[in-house]
Amino acid sequence: LPEDPDWKAYKVPPTRTPVSERITSVPNPVNIFQTVFNYVVDAPVTFIREWIERQQAKNKFYYYHQKFRRVPDLSECLEGDYLCYFEAEAQWRRDRMVDQEIVEIIRERVGACKQREGPNQLQNCAKEVELLAQVTKAYQDRYGDLGVHGNARSCLMKQKHRMMEEMKKKAAASQ
Amino acid sequence: MAAMSLLLRVAAAWGARRAASGASGSALLPGLAGAARLPGTVVPVRHSSGHGKRMFIIKATSFYDTRFLNLLRFYIFLTGIPVILFVTYVNIFIGEAELAEIPEGYVPEYWEYYKHPISRWIARYLLDPPEKNYEKEMAMLDVEAKKTQMRLLELEARRLMRQRGDGPWYHYETPDKNLIDNSMKATPDN
Repeated sequence: LPEDPDWKAYKVPPTRTPVSERITSVPNPVNIFQTVFNYVVDAPVTFIREWIERQQAKNKFYYYHQKFRRVPDLSECLEGDYLCYFEAEAQWRRDRMVDQEIVEIIRERVGACKQREGPNQLQNCAKEVELLAQVTKAYQDRYGDLGVHGNARSCLMKQKHRMMEEMKKKAAASQ
Repeated sequence: MAAMSLLLRVAAAWGARRAASGASGSALLPGLAGAARLPGTVVPVRHSSGHGKRMFIIKATSFYDTRFLNLLRFYIFLTGIPVILFVTYVNIFIGEAELAEIPEGYVPEYWEYYKHPISRWIARYLLDPPEKNYEKEMAMLDVEAKKTQMRLLELEARRLMRQRGDGPWYHYETPDKNLIDNSMKATPDN
């Protein structure tokens, strides 16, 4: 079953094929197949699914997405405060997972757009493709080459190097 | 075997293949003429009007293989079928949880963050809450950090006491200088 069948990005605009006049007296086999499929497959499956949903509706229960409190960052921890390091590390890992999911969602949007547009994808999906390029560049800048043992500390060092490069470039540009 | 003609040997091989396939799968058409009837098969022969020639087919034993496969199926299904039935019951009649926004002023329990009812049950009754795990890890880190600190202090104290010599450690008892007998060195000619 799909995660969210009503997702906005997957909505296909209504087709604009014109209704054609019947020229022959032979009935359209597609209609026959559709009615057969409806009666043989669709109706029983829908009936069983609705019965199952009626059984499940008797005792509903919910699940939630956990909201974590923000804790002081690694840059705000005193040296030698291992508890602060631990909490900052956990927070950094959660943030990295969130960023991975964000990139994944934007990739899915580009894929959905390409599927939807078909032959016009180079023109009509330019915005989504541009957004994906920006997001992956940002992800690569932040979490890029840290490797499998990357932790909050190495990410902070990478950020420090990035800032140093920026300042050097600004100093070289202003000269 | 030497007297058997080539034709009968080919027919016996064909009959052996049919017997093997009939024994491993279910007997599809038991009433078919020429069906396998142990020991051996009835092999069709030309101009025999319904009676074939009974052949004794020599092939390698499949006793151990069939016994193994039967036992494998038995032990897999022994616990597999109850588990499958239970999981099917849970999925149909209890169903998965629905995603909802956290209501105002409500703090969900730690098992209410899972979707499937069996995961929720395991998280609720078998596993520790993740907050407890977190605190346990932080406690371990705290103990180790304090141990590190104590060890560093001890090393520093040892270094200072050795250097300055005014502490209780590195205190070597020396005898009193008034007890030394200098009579041996008192005169130059000893």
